[in-house]
Amino acid sequence: MTLAEFSTGALVLTPLLSAAVMALCTHVLRRLLGVVVAVLIVGFTVPVVIHLGSGEVVEVDLGAYGAPLGIVLRADGLSVLFIAMTSLVGLGITAFAAATPEATGERIQANGQSKTEHAGFWPLWFGCWAGLNAVFVSGDLFNTYVGLELVGLTAVGLVALGGQKSWPAALRYLFIAVLGSLLFLVAVGLLVSVTGTLDINQAAQQLTDNPEAAGVATVAMVLLSIGLAMKVALVPMHQWLVPAHSGAPSAVSPILSALVIKGALFVFLRSWLYVAAPAYSPALTETSGEAPLNVAEALSIVAWVFALLGLIALIVGAIMALRQTRLKPLIAYSTVAQAGYWFLLLPVVFMPTSASLGDPGVTTFDASEVIAGALAGTVGLILGHGLAKSALFLTAGYFKELYGTEKIAALSGEARSHPMMVMTMGLTAIGLAGLPFSLSFTGKWQLTSASLAGGHYWILPVIIVATLLSAAYLLRAFGPLMMDNDQENAAHPELHRNSMPVVAQVAPFTLGVLTLLTGFMGTPIFDLLEVGAPWS
Amino acid sequence: MTTATWYLLLGVIVVTIGALRLLTVQDLVARLIALNITGAGSLMVLVSLAARSEPIDPVLSALVITGLVITAAFTATAAVLIRRIEDTPDLEDGEASS
Repeated sequence: MTLAEFSTGALVLTPLLSAAVMALCTHVLRRLLGVVVAVLIVGFTVPVVIHLGSGEVVEVDLGAYGAPLGIVLRADGLSVLFIAMTSLVGLGITAFAAATPEATGERIQANGQSKTEHAGFWPLWFGCWAGLNAVFVSGDLFNTYVGLELVGLTAVGLVALGGQKSWPAALRYLFIAVLGSLLFLVAVGLLVSVTGTLDINQAAQQLTDNPEAAGVATVAMVLLSIGLAMKVALVPMHQWLVPAHSGAPSAVSPILSALVIKGALFVFLRSWLYVAAPAYSPALTETSGEAPLNVAEALSIVAWVFALLGLIALIVGAIMALRQTRLKPLIAYSTVAQAGYWFLLLPVVFMPTSASLGDPGVTTFDASEVIAGALAGTVGLILGHGLAKSALFLTAGYFKELYGTEKIAALSGEARSHPMMVMTMGLTAIGLAGLPFSLSFTGKWQLTSASLAGGHYWILPVIIVATLLSAAYLLRAFGPLMMDNDQENAAHPELHRNSMPVVAQVAPFTLGVLTLLTGFMGTPIFDLLEVGAPWS
Repeated sequence: MTTATWYLLLGVIVVTIGALRLLTVQDLVARLIALNITGAGSLMVLVSLAARSEPIDPVLSALVITGLVITAAFTATAAVLIRRIEDTPDLEDGEASS
């Protein structure tokens, strides 16, 4: 077993084991263990990334039983990018939570007093992390389902840590998350019944080889897309997200917004691009001559529906964000809006050359190049969102812990007393609005140019309007903080506690800086994505 | 139509009814039960898909067993949350009006 293979397994098993051990520890020990394990996970990520950098997929047959019987862990380019993002963000959140245990929740003690500190955060968070990594490296659809359920249930627990007020939101989230998972489970069952295997690559191969499986596969793709879109909170299935993400404790909101929804999104991308596209996208099946056209048409309608919902999400989410007066709901609505970006690529993937255009003439792009570019752009947007959103939620949490309020009006003029935090907010605003040179900008650029190369000109106005709208609500959030208070003794919000630890400033700031630094790493990131992709 | 196909249809109907009820009802316990019915329906779909081949597909049967465990887990979590919410009077009112 090589180091990369060992690390791939360890990425799942280390957080899972530590979650179990933490449940037995005292609170101080949990915090300590949490930091150690988070550093270990980042350490395990490195050999996997290096191995992928050499252009090979990491594959581990657990117990040496091959697919379809055994459990196969497979880390390809898509997996490893999501893992790397999760490790970085996870380390930042762990550091923040370990330094400010008050941010981990609220519990009622035996004497009826509520105390803002919850030791339950630690096992739940590491259980969630284990589930996320399991989803990312899972080679078969069923482990994906189990991983998603682990993520979902621990996330419900994490939301519930926010105390009495957040319980209804947690329950609502649980209903939606489980319903989404059940739809996904039925879809997996349908795929297995026509392909006879749970392994993702084998299933994709079977669908390509058996054109008669297309009808069932289409139904499965529809069910799976609806189920996963519920968990990603795509409009109109977004109602649960805002109370859950904004009502959660300060250390939990970034986990939910930056990481948990990415788990379901990863499965969505995996199913569309790695299972359905090789079999049914007309562009990729042309060479084999077996393209079942009616299925391609049905799936392209589904793709358009989801892209349209993405467009609506971008607009509705931004307008709702503009109307918020408190930081955390504003940031939560911004997640609803940004989720729209991640679904725009579907029509591009299923119709890389739009027929309505006639001959574009100047340059001709290979369909696989268009698909690879659209996916690369979308992944860039997703990773950029993860880094920026976690930093932003941590900053909002910082102010909430310090002042006991997150009302935007009450926080005006904070740039003077907390320059580092306001700087972080500025960096994340650049990242979220997708201004140069953030990773989101690189992603947006890549997605747009790939779509234009594929003849999808509609994406240009969509991206421009979405960028302007997101800049508008981000300015609305940060403008007041930058403003100087005119009155000398302007009402400074009352301190909820005297000071915050330095780590609580450094963690979000580092993540904020990373949103910009990663923007310069577009090419290596996109090269990594090609490893193990069906079209390369 | 074979018996398995009938069960498949029945499973689809159970899933649909459960999901519709889940999305429309307000009472929390009724919602949980609707979610359980949806879960039972989807497992029924899986079982009937497994039963269509001879011998019965072991992979799908294994999915059903794991699905049952997960159903038990989320039911327990939801039940705890519902009990806590209904023990807090003002929260219950808030949920009913929203």
